[in-house]
Amino acid sequence: MNAWLRERRAILAAAVGSRVLVLAAAAADHRLHWPGGPVPVHGASTTHTLSILSYWDGVWYRTVAEQGYLLIPGRQSDPAFFPLFPIVLRALRGLGFSFLTTGILVANGAFVIGILAFYELSRRLLPADVARASALIAAFFPMSFVFSMTYPEGLVLAALTLALVFALDGRWTLSAVAGAAAALGRPEALFFALPLAAVAVSRSRVSGRRANGRAIGAAFAPLASVAAFPLYLGWALHNVSAWSGAQQAWGRSFELGGVVDAFHQLFERGQTPWLWRDAAFCLIYLALIAAARRVGISWPWLVAAAALVLLPLASGTFMSDARFGVLALPAYWGVGALARRRIVRLPVLVLSAALLVAGTMTIPLANP
Amino acid sequence: MASSESPIQPTGWLRLAVASVATAAGLAALLAGAAFALQAVTLPRPSRGQLIAAQTLRRLTGQDAVVSRALVRGRPVASVCVNVVVGPLGGDAHHVKASLLITGRRRLVETRFASYRAGSTLREEDGPLPTIRTALAGCPRALERRIGRFLDDRALVAVDTVFLRGVRRLRLSFHRRDSGLSLIVDPRTFAPVAVRIPRVRTSWSYLAPAEPRDLASPSLRLPRRLRVIVKEEA
Repeated sequence: MNAWLRERRAILAAAVGSRVLVLAAAAADHRLHWPGGPVPVHGASTTHTLSILSYWDGVWYRTVAEQGYLLIPGRQSDPAFFPLFPIVLRALRGLGFSFLTTGILVANGAFVIGILAFYELSRRLLPADVARASALIAAFFPMSFVFSMTYPEGLVLAALTLALVFALDGRWTLSAVAGAAAALGRPEALFFALPLAAVAVSRSRVSGRRANGRAIGAAFAPLASVAAFPLYLGWALHNVSAWSGAQQAWGRSFELGGVVDAFHQLFERGQTPWLWRDAAFCLIYLALIAAARRVGISWPWLVAAAALVLLPLASGTFMSDARFGVLALPAYWGVGALARRRIVRLPVLVLSAALLVAGTMTIPLANP
Repeated sequence: MASSESPIQPTGWLRLAVASVATAAGLAALLAGAAFALQAVTLPRPSRGQLIAAQTLRRLTGQDAVVSRALVRGRPVASVCVNVVVGPLGGDAHHVKASLLITGRRRLVETRFASYRAGSTLREEDGPLPTIRTALAGCPRALERRIGRFLDDRALVAVDTVFLRGVRRLRLSFHRRDSGLSLIVDPRTFAPVAVRIPRVRTSWSYLAPAEPRDLASPSLRLPRRLRVIVKEEA
């Protein structure tokens, strides 16, 4: 165990160090009362030192954890948010912490596990130096502050990377459980059914009959888990389509012309300039996913990552695409491939860390 | 002996395929069941009252106009309320969704942000009274907002059965720290049939859905210059 940890000391240090940066930046925001003005979200806490990490969607996840789901027609309501994170918050309320503290502990703890698991995944697919660079940069990635917020992204990163590691090791039942957990956190995990299926197919020759069936089962696990959510809403709210109904109220209905609308929205008068951050990150993710091809990442991984970044645009907006893309794992392999040399890696890490702090401090200004 | 034939017979392949698919389907079904059970066991469910209130809200979002009758100081008063759009208002070029409430000669325009008395022009009205009036008149948007706020805060919603002119109805009573709302709904369609705001100590207003109105209709007596700002919804 000691040798295992020693080998991963740098990765662990990066994961913990980046979280210290994020938490310190959030605490500084609180201490300096920056940027001032009213709290951007109704019902958000302002008293906690790390309050800003619970802003925006964090308020909704807390509501689900406290009160469960309720679809309120014609208004933004909580069935738009997947249940894993609120379930974990509720399960841990016995520890005696507030939902906010529990949420921050869970999100950051899961992120550290997720980065270690991502490193393991990368080592199985890439040369050691690229795997190491990818994990280090993923830890300090500018948008990675969302992994420290009371959002499910940290949990999903951990579950998703573990599902993929287990699949590559041929441990299909564990992979299926982790994949199902990831999809219960965020529906985007569904896209990774594609590389899971590709791994299952490529290993089918060496697997036995039962393992073969379990491999296919693991690839379908995210889909099964996602399907369980509308079924639950049908049981609890008597409305199987509550999720899509709530998504519409959030302006997230998918249409064929959505991508064109997303570009039009960028130039509409009165739009928030933060949309350009999302658009810029969308391009960055796509470029990095393309770069991942240079180190031999296969098409199913690239297609899954590209779909994760591009599909939200069909809802007519770039809004939050920068956040959605943090789960596009091949993008980190792309940046790892470009920054495998120390002379490039160091400036990239410094720049990423600076942008990570800036991103954290501007949480009150824009919904990530 | 060199042979390209598979050592497994076709029936063997079929059995293998069936076994694999069965294992995969079994695992996926098991996980879906576990995911469902996890949600069902850990997350609280909304109360019956909150679910009925949500159904009423859904009903209101599809309603464009309503007529209401109430007793005000012992006299029966009838109103009609229509969904409209208003704008441009002041320096704001945008159009805003609003309710137009017509009671006798009085016209009231209410948006999410402000209320206006409509004479020859729109004059802003202060205080909570216009909002209370539109809610009591059953204006779909005003009622939607009021019920929606209760549900946003997950306010308690008590449900009991009442008989209104011999017909079985459901009475929803919303309670929050400083406010409340009583609503009687049709148990079959969840359409609101009567509304009361207990804190204001008003009598019940009885509601009935109405057809969307042509704002140019003489019966509405809406001045032409106002119809430039207050328009029917497209």
